[in-house]
Amino acid sequence: MTASQQAGFGFFCQFSYRFFVLIILMLFLSGCAGRLNKASDFFHAGDPQRALSLLEEGDNLGKRNRLLFLLEKGLIFNQLGEYQQSVNQLLEAAKLIDQFEVVSLSEQAGSLITNEWMTRYQGESSERLWVHSYLMMNYLLLGQYDDALVEAKQSLSRLEKNPEALNADYFTRALIALCFANLAEDNDAYLVYRKLADDLPSPALVATDIVAHAERLGMVDEVEKYRPFLSQSFPEGESELVLFVANDRIPLKRPGNVILPPSFRFSFPYYSAEKASWPRINILPHSWSYRPLLSTDLGVVARQALAVRKARIIAKQSIRIATKEAISQSVGNKNDVAAEALVRVALFLLDEPDTRSWQTLPGRLTLVRIPLPAGRHRLQVRLSAYGEFDQVIDLPEVQLRRGQRKFYSVRF
Amino acid sequence: MQTFSWLIKVVLVGLLMLLVAGCSVTTREVGSDEKVIYDEGYHFSDKKAIVDDMATSLLTTYPLLRATDRPVLIVYGIANRTSEHISTSAMTDDMRQALLKSGRVRFVNKIQRSNIEQETSYQYGGNVAAETRIQKARQVGAKYMLTGTLRSIEKKQPRQFRLKKKTLMYYSLNMELTDLQTGLIEWADSTEVIREATKPFIGW
Repeated sequence: MTASQQAGFGFFCQFSYRFFVLIILMLFLSGCAGRLNKASDFFHAGDPQRALSLLEEGDNLGKRNRLLFLLEKGLIFNQLGEYQQSVNQLLEAAKLIDQFEVVSLSEQAGSLITNEWMTRYQGESSERLWVHSYLMMNYLLLGQYDDALVEAKQSLSRLEKNPEALNADYFTRALIALCFANLAEDNDAYLVYRKLADDLPSPALVATDIVAHAERLGMVDEVEKYRPFLSQSFPEGESELVLFVANDRIPLKRPGNVILPPSFRFSFPYYSAEKASWPRINILPHSWSYRPLLSTDLGVVARQALAVRKARIIAKQSIRIATKEAISQSVGNKNDVAAEALVRVALFLLDEPDTRSWQTLPGRLTLVRIPLPAGRHRLQVRLSAYGEFDQVIDLPEVQLRRGQRKFYSVRF
Repeated sequence: MQTFSWLIKVVLVGLLMLLVAGCSVTTREVGSDEKVIYDEGYHFSDKKAIVDDMATSLLTTYPLLRATDRPVLIVYGIANRTSEHISTSAMTDDMRQALLKSGRVRFVNKIQRSNIEQETSYQYGGNVAAETRIQKARQVGAKYMLTGTLRSIEKKQPRQFRLKKKTLMYYSLNMELTDLQTGLIEWADSTEVIREATKPFIGW
C-alpha cells in the first residue's frame, strides 16, 4: 500500500466513523419524529387517548422537537375536553416560541453542514398564531374571559407581524373580535370586524356585528355605511351559543427536492394542495338558524405562511449548498477522488428537508354563532363535511341568561 | 515561545472557570420591598407599588377621608385588559389588606358567600344548639363597590438591521369607588408603570 493509498484509507476510516455517527443521529432524530407521526395517526384514527399515552411515554422528545410535543399534547387535551391541561401545554409552547426570537448561532452553524432537522423546530408563523387561537378557545370554554382576551391580544400581535401570511385566517380574526365583544370592549371589537369586512369576500358576513358595535360607539356614518349589507334573514336573539367546529385534517408537509449536477440537492418542504371541505351544519330540534359562518381552511393559511418564508429558505439552502461544496472540494484536494465522492454522497443524503409540522390540527375551523332566546335549551348538531349529514352530536343542556354567550367545541 | 504557550493555558483555564461558575446554581433571599426586574413585563414589585399608591390615595381622599362610621366596601375585582396573564385578584387581596389595616373601612367577604350560606344551612340543619346559632338576615350590606381595570400598551422597535431590540411597556391601573345607592363614582384614581427593556436578537 502506497503512502497516498494509506492516507486515503485513513481518511476513509475516519470519515466512515463520522458518517456512521451522523447516520445514527439522523435515525435518532427521525425516531423522535416517528413517535409524533404515530401519535398523530392514533389521533386521526379517533383514539386521542392512545395518542396522548404514546406522547407521555418516556422522555419529551428532546429539545429539538419540544415545541411539537407541546403543540400535539395541547391539541389532544383540547379534543379530550381537558381544557385546563390544554392551556398548560399551549402556554408553555407560547413561552418557548418567545424564546426563539433570539437566533442561536451555534444551532444555525451546525445546520449549515447537515440539515434543518438538527435545529429546534420553531413553528411556522401560522402555527404560532394557532397556539393563541386554541388558547382563546380553551379559555372561552373554561369561562375565563379575561384570559381569552389576553390571548386575543397576543393573536393580534402575531397577525400584525405577518399580515401577508395570516390575513386569510378569518376564524381566528372573528374569534379575536368575539373575545373583545364578550367583555364589552366595543371599540376593539369594532376595529377587528371593520378590518375583517375589508378582507372578506363580502362585508355582509360581519355587517351585523359592525352595525351593533358602531351604534354603541355612536358612529352614525359607519352604521349608515354597513346597514345596506344587513339581511332580513340574519337571525337575532337575546343570547348566543357559539360552536367551534373543526373538521378534516391539515395537509402534511412533504419533502421537495431539486437535484443539480454534480451533487447539488436543493431540498425544501411544501404543503400538499389538499382542500378542507366546508361543513354542513343543522341545529336541531327547530333547525335554529345561525349567523353567517366565518371559516378558515388551515391548509391555505399554512401554505401562505410557508410561501412567505420561501425567500429565507432559499437563502439558507444556497449557503448550505455552498458550504457543502467547499467541504467536498477541500476533501478532494487533500485526498483522492473516491474520498471526495464519498463526502459528496454523505452530504447529499444528509440534505433532508424539514417536514416537521403540527399534525393534529384540523383542516378547517368554523365559527358557528347561534342566536337563541334566553332560557334553557337542549340542542343537537347535525354535521357533515361531504354531502349527507353523517354525525349527530348532543350538546349538553344549556341555561342562557339575557345577553349571555356560551361556548362549545365540536370536532368531526 | 514557552511564555506564550503558558499564557494560552492560563487564558483557557480562566475561561473554563468562568464557564463552570456560570453553570453553578445560586440562590438568594429577595426582600418583599426589593425591586427585581428581569424584563419589561409585569413583576411582583409592581404589584406592591401599585397597591401602596392606590390604598394611600383612597384613604386620603373624599369620601373615605371624612368617613367616621367605617363604611362597608365590596371588591368586584380588577379586570385584566393587558396582553399578559396577570393575576389581578392578588392586587385586590393586597389592597383589601392594606385598607383593613388602616382600620377605617370594613369589607364584605364576597368570595366566601357560598361557604357562609353552606355553614348557615348546616347550623339550621338540626345539629347545632339553637342558642349558639348565628341569626339569619343579619349580614351587612356594602355601601361602596371597589372596581378597577389594568391596561397595558406595548411598543416594539420596528424591524431593521441591528443586534438588539427595544420594547417599551406601559401599565396603567384605574380604580373606582362607586356608591351602590346612588350609582355615583365617589373616588377614582390611576397609577402607572412604564418600563423599557433591551433584548439581543442573537445568542450562542
